[in-house]
Parts: sequence; structure tokens; C-alpha cells
Amino acid sequence: MNNQRPPTKPASLLGPLRTALLVLILAAAYAYGFRVTKVNLYDLVTGLPNMHHIVLSLLQPDLFVRATEMQKSDTPFLVRAESGALPPPPATPPAKPGPSVEIYPSVAKPGDVIEVKGRDFKPDTPGVIYLIWVGETRLGKITTDAQGSFAAKVVLPGDVTQGDYWIEARVFRELNWYVPSETLILSLRLMLETIFLALIGTTFSVIFSIPLSFLGARNLMMGAPFGRATYYLSRTFFNLLRSIEVLIIVVIMAVVVGIGPFAGVLALAVHGIGALGKLYSEAIESIDPGPIEAITATGASRLQVIAYAVVPQIVPQFIAFTLYRWDINVRMATVIGLVGGGGIGFILIQYINLLEWNQAGTAIWLIAIVVMAMDYASAVIREKIV
Amino acid sequence: MLKIEHLTKIYEDGTKALDDVSLTVADGEFLVIVGLSGAGKSTLLRCINRLVEPTSGKIYLDDVDITAASPKELREIRLKIGMIFQQFNLVKRSSVLTNTLSGRLGYVSPWKSLVYRFPAQDVARAHANLERVGIAEKARARADTLSGGQQQRVGIARALMQEPKLMLADEPVASLDPATSHSVLKYLEQINKEDGITVICNLHFLSLARRYASRVIALKDGRLVFDGRPQEIDHRRFKEIYGEEAVQVEIGPELTPEEATQAP
Repeated sequence: MNNQRPPTKPASLLGPLRTALLVLILAAAYAYGFRVTKVNLYDLVTGLPNMHHIVLSLLQPDLFVRATEMQKSDTPFLVRAESGALPPPPATPPAKPGPSVEIYPSVAKPGDVIEVKGRDFKPDTPGVIYLIWVGETRLGKITTDAQGSFAAKVVLPGDVTQGDYWIEARVFRELNWYVPSETLILSLRLMLETIFLALIGTTFSVIFSIPLSFLGARNLMMGAPFGRATYYLSRTFFNLLRSIEVLIIVVIMAVVVGIGPFAGVLALAVHGIGALGKLYSEAIESIDPGPIEAITATGASRLQVIAYAVVPQIVPQFIAFTLYRWDINVRMATVIGLVGGGGIGFILIQYINLLEWNQAGTAIWLIAIVVMAMDYASAVIREKIV
Repeated sequence: MLKIEHLTKIYEDGTKALDDVSLTVADGEFLVIVGLSGAGKSTLLRCINRLVEPTSGKIYLDDVDITAASPKELREIRLKIGMIFQQFNLVKRSSVLTNTLSGRLGYVSPWKSLVYRFPAQDVARAHANLERVGIAEKARARADTLSGGQQQRVGIARALMQEPKLMLADEPVASLDPATSHSVLKYLEQINKEDGITVICNLHFLSLARRYASRVIALKDGRLVFDGRPQEIDHRRFKEIYGEEAVQVEIGPELTPEEATQAP
């Protein structure tokens, strides 16, 4: 029996020196890294309270509002250099049933006080008076009396430009139930769009990457020089597509087909061909080569070998990877809207830009719920089939 | 009749797996190839149906040169050569029936087979072959639910679907326990005797070779070092084939006393 151990190397000075050099290089790298990325803990701590308002708003997403019933009525109003009365209309229209509004004066100059009277509104109901132009300006609050009438004096803002306007009174009566807010309805609609955007994008990438993945599988292609070239070509193609960030592809596709969900679909499809192609190819490469050998030995053609020895082995993995990709794509689809790819990201970025944090919160919560649900569902399904 | 002339195989990494092997196998023989792991047994079998491309030399099956066959001709030659494997090489997720039917692929229309449709007589043939190897009731089971011995029998049924003239068996029992080994080899013996299919079988164990072979050849470092009847392998020859340090071990319950005394 040979119990001798090989002689150990004599300890050299090179070891500790090399370690010291490594530590030095690491230290230098991190020192430089902190400087270029401007890491600054002081800013982080002092700036933290700025987040307070946003976080609070995000925690109160705009989900449901009290259902209300609205009544409104308007009357023409002119802003001129001098105040006065409107010329009487050519023929008085027959008084319609329902609420009506009168103003005095009906021609006013900026800064004037205007008297607004209304009647036949719902009794004891709060409301608002608006100056209507392309947009609208809120002039004052009102409450109707027991007969459904009101009278209020409002001040015309000093900076109103001369032109033709309307004065409108709206009264709101809150009902005893809640309805989804406009934000919620819009977010839900766009979330659905996002899920389908991801589905269609994934489908396109699956259609193209399945045939390509066979060309990118080493174990199937390494036979002949032509196969070898095809293998390297396909793998390079996959890597190229995969390395281009989806957000960049969206911007390019938006130039081609215009801003909207289709640009997002195309971007997810293009990026997905690269990502899925690589995963599929690797799945094919990891199969048991035995059945390929066995089916080849029976005198089957190459296509038959793929159909009988390769396909049955890869189907579960292909399904798992596809679900995983769809899952990733839903997450990606939420952000591609930020750069014009449609979906829920499109309104999220608008809410953020308008500092409407409650509304942004609605979209963000919805995204989080859907992404988590998809994540869970695809994990369960993947576990079942693999 | 299978004729092998000056067959040499050198792999890309420089390994010389076969070195000028010449051999003739008559119809109906049960030829067992013995030798150490790495002696070139598997390479020799795989050169016969060109799963491995020979470097030089010729192989003739009934005077047709296999080594010169075009891809299309090769597929037709392969139809006549069944093969079973050490790891059975079944598609684990497919049913036993589908695995068996896949032995028939060379005969059926390529387009129909791609949508997994087989003619009714082929399906009937598959059931008959499964019946023959004693696992007819497993036809609908997934291949990986079967035991090793059962899987190898599916392998035999798959090869029988080809209606082969020649059956190559590459270490068919190396993954099986002794009792199961005998049951699988008995099926091979049966198709050899009843159907007249020539069998060429790699085996590790000399005892199994002695029990089943009508002729034994031995390979050592890619060269043919023995060719004769199984009884001719005595102690000296054993040492030549397996090296000085080897000790003969016996396998299986079907050992005769004089076989046992042959062990050193």
C-alpha cells in the first residue's frame, strides 16, 4: 500500500503578496466606483422625508368614489372691456323643464363680481360654479335651498382674456354606494391590454424561436461543417437580439409602427426571440442523447428523429420556459408603456408627471398584484408539468 | 452475412478505438464480444450501423458496402439492423407503445409519422412484439414507469419492429441485476433461434458469454485478440484479454459447478 502523500509545496512569499495586491486592486476599484456613482449617504438620510408625501399617497390609491348624481345648467357669458348686458336672443327658446341659470351682468370685464342665480335644481344640494372655455375654471361653491334655488356672487378672475364663455352650475348629490373611480377603470382596461400585449408578444417570439432553436442546438448541428456554421450563426443572432434592451427596441418600433401597444408587441417579440431561442436551444442540448441514437439506428430520417426522440423530451421544458417568458413579458410590458409601447405604463408615466400620486398608486398596485399573481400561477403550472 | 475488413476507428482526440479489425459473421450466429471497458466493443457495434463513422476499412452486409452507403441507402441498411442499448435509450416520457412503434419509422410515410400516426397493422405488430417480450399489458404506460428489465424488453420490441436481419446489443444487461440479465438475454436467444436473427452482443461478463454465445471474440486496445468458441477461453486466454490483475467473477443463478471451478 502506498500511504505517502505528495510533498507539499514550500510556502512562498508570492502568496501573501498576491493577496495584498488583490486587496489593493479591489479597494481602488470600489473607491473609484463610489466616486463615479456619487454615493452619498447624507443626501439619502436628509432627503428621506421628501418621500413621505409620495409614499402616503401611493398607499392611498384612487380606487373607489362615492357614487354621485349630477345636475347642470349653463348660460352664455361674454368677457369684454366693459360690462353690460347681452343683447336679447332673437327668439326666446321655450323654457325647458329642469334646472336653469341666470347671470348678471352677462357681459363683464375681468375682475368684476357676477351674480349667479339658479332654480329648479335638486333641493339642499352642494354644487360648484364653473367658467367654461376650452377648459374650465372653478369660480365658487354653492348650496341649493329647500326649493332647489341658489344665488351666489362670484368674482371673475383678473387675468381672464376677452372672449365668449359659458357659466355653468353643477350640483352633486352623493349616493349611498361606491363605484370604481375613473382611474381604476382606466387602469384595469390598460392592465388587460398589458397582459394581452405580453401574450401576443410572447406568442410571436415562440413562433420564431422554436424552429430557430433547433438550428442553435449544438448536439443536433455539430455533425457537418454546414451545421456548425448554422449553429454559430443562430447563437450569435440570439445573443444579438437578447442584448438589445426592450426599451430601446420599443423606441425604434414606435418610429416604424407609431406609438402604441403594437410597438410594444413587436419589441417584446424581437427581444423574446433572442431570450427564448437561447433557452430552447439549451433545453434541446440538455436532452438525453440515447433516444436520438436509438431512433437514428432504426433507419428513421432526421425529421423523424427530431419528432420521436427530441420533441417528447423538450415539450415540458419548452412550456415552462414559455410561461416564464410570458411572466417576464407582463412585467416588461408595464414599463415599455413609459416609452410609448402602450399598456398600463403609458398612463402610469402620465400620472407621475402630473404628480397625481394617488392615481399612480392605483396603477402601481394593480401592476404589483397582476405580476405577483402571474408569477405564482406560472410557478405552479411549471411545477406541474416538469 | 456480415463481413468486416480492416476496420480502424481513430476518434478526433486521437484515441485509437479500433485497430485493423477483420471479422466475418455468418447468418444465425450469436456472437458475443468481450473485453475491458474501452477496448472498442461499443465502437465496433456502432461502426456496423454507422452511428460511428469508421476511419478506414470496409463493412459489408450481404455484399452491400455499408461504409460507402449514401445517407438514403444507409437508412435502408439500418432498417435491417436492430439495436438495443445499455441504457435502453427509450424516450422516457413517451408511452411504451409509442417507443415500440418508433422502431417502425423507417417503413412508414414520413409525413404521417410526423403527426404521430401509424398504420393499423403496425400498431397490431407493436402489440404482438410487446406480447412476445411479455409486457403487452404495459403498452399504455409511460416508459419511465417500467423497471430496467422491462425497459430493455421494450428496447427489444422496438428493434423487432424493424424486422431486422441482424441485432446489435451494446451491453444490454450491464445496467440490470443478474436475474433480470438472464431474462433479457433469453429473449435475445429466443429471437436468435426462432427468427434466425444474427445477434452481435457486447458483454462484460465471461460467464454470460459462455452461457449464451455460439462464438466469442475478444477485443483488447482495439485489436482482435481472440476468436473462437466460448469453451476455448481458458485461464491463460482470460488473462490475455482482461490483463494479469483481473479476477474472474461469475454472474447469475444459472451457473454450473464446472463453470464455477473455472474461476481462478
